[in-house]
Amino acid sequence: MKRCLPLAAVIVLTALLPLLLDPRGYWIRVLTITLLFAAMAQAWNIVGGLANQTSLGHAAFFGIGAYTSTVLLLKFGISPWLGMVAGGVLGGLAAFVIAIPTMRLQGHYFALATLAFGEVMRVIANVWTSLTGGPSGLSVPFVPPSFAAYSFKLLRPHAWIALVALVIVTAIFEAIRRGAMGYRLRAIKQNAAAAEVIGVDTTRVKLQAAVISGALIAMLGTLYAQVAVFFDPDTVFSIAGISIRIALIAIIGGVGTAAGPILGAFFIIPLEEIMNDLLSSRAAGLSQLVFGIILISVILWQPRGFITVFGSLRARLSRTVSP
Amino acid sequence: MTILDVRAVSRRFGGLQALSEVMFSVSRGEIVGVIGPNGAGKTTLFSTLVGLIRPDSGTVTLDGRDLAGLKPHRVASLGMTKTFQNVALFAESSVLDNVLTAGLLHHGVDAARGEALNCLDRVGLRGVAHKQAGNLSFPERARVELARALCTAPKVLLLDEVMAALNHAEMAEIMQLIRSLRDDGVTLLVVEHHMRAIMNVCDRILVLNFGRLLADGTPEQVARDPLVIEAYLGRSREAARR
Repeated sequence: MKRCLPLAAVIVLTALLPLLLDPRGYWIRVLTITLLFAAMAQAWNIVGGLANQTSLGHAAFFGIGAYTSTVLLLKFGISPWLGMVAGGVLGGLAAFVIAIPTMRLQGHYFALATLAFGEVMRVIANVWTSLTGGPSGLSVPFVPPSFAAYSFKLLRPHAWIALVALVIVTAIFEAIRRGAMGYRLRAIKQNAAAAEVIGVDTTRVKLQAAVISGALIAMLGTLYAQVAVFFDPDTVFSIAGISIRIALIAIIGGVGTAAGPILGAFFIIPLEEIMNDLLSSRAAGLSQLVFGIILISVILWQPRGFITVFGSLRARLSRTVSP
Repeated sequence: MTILDVRAVSRRFGGLQALSEVMFSVSRGEIVGVIGPNGAGKTTLFSTLVGLIRPDSGTVTLDGRDLAGLKPHRVASLGMTKTFQNVALFAESSVLDNVLTAGLLHHGVDAARGEALNCLDRVGLRGVAHKQAGNLSFPERARVELARALCTAPKVLLLDEVMAALNHAEMAEIMQLIRSLRDDGVTLLVVEHHMRAIMNVCDRILVLNFGRLLADGTPEQVARDPLVIEAYLGRSREAARR
């Protein structure tokens, strides 16, 4: 209970943040995207962290979510809230289908197989023009602002929705980590044969994790579509922009921990924005170069992520406090 | 009353006949030793019984239920599990979490934790419950492995060299534990290289050689069996005396 208090304080302070930022400005967009990516990295963390299966194909589910809600809204006028649920179902289904052949793979092989799956989805979205609009993308139509229609004049509600999403996904992650499924996933990660022999249904547990993770990422795809208003296959099914970025966020922050993806997102997304802001006018590619150098330095400095810095800081603090 | 029935189980790996028409049955509450020279198929036999390896032919029946095609976790839930010869702990997890995970087979997390602590008590490791499993000594890790298997509440428990690398006092403790498990109604199959220990604790001994069941009898019968002496004890009498 003692730990809940600072947590609640952080959530409330973050909720107040959009009120301080210019509602039409640039930074509230950065905040919204940061919260969204933190939530995505947290959903990825269920598979990438607890099961230790480094998926590089999560853009597939993200794109499925973005397209499902937007197509339903465009063609049938269905509220994105319902579209989000439909996208979650489809995303979970896609995760189920891809998990069956890839589940037995480990390490690099798993990463490559999932990477390929993400690419397949991007190609399909580019080709299936009648449904997705093809390479020219989709625009989310303007509807009169209301919560039920998931339409707002300003960005503030989007930031709050992203925050709520982050809190929910983090709560789900924590519940899994502490619950029976977390124990089973950790067992599978360390020794799958031993886990089976002591009664862990390794196939089923891995499938469950994949489906939960895929469904959550797909639902977050709807949030992205509503914020971005316009998107195309190369954005939402992007390897670098989505799949690798969310993996990177979780890894930089500290994989397998609840705080890791949040720390990672609040480091990487604003850093990227600042680099672009400062350096993109100087020379082409300079911002990416500097961004890359910073990332490499961080990985070398803290291979297990930022979370270890906080851990040792806390240890040092408690040592100085207690006599 | 028969709890485990193994009928003509064979398994070939490439050119190696690892198990060849192995046939035996075990009664409830028996302690059965499985001995044989290295490569005789002891570990393969255990892996086949729990479903890690599919037999090419033959059937395994546990408590009247045919195990054909069942995965290890199903076999575990039906009441048979094994320990691993080389110790296969979840090394980064705590000792308690290792054992707790097995308890989840029949319990929720909280009840499984209680069960896990009981199992750790039984192997005398409650004191190290919160240590990381990978940091323990080899004999301790073998006992964690035993506690973890116990926590699945097995009817039939297969122990693959849990006494390797133990000193005499530790070995005596494990033998005491094996007997007390039998008193609780657990049936045990024990692979062990240490002859005195296995002759001492087992009601019956199976001798494997080149994947074949060479002998099946009481320790006295087996020790006198000329085939066994030739195949196994004869060649390693010095080792057996140790």
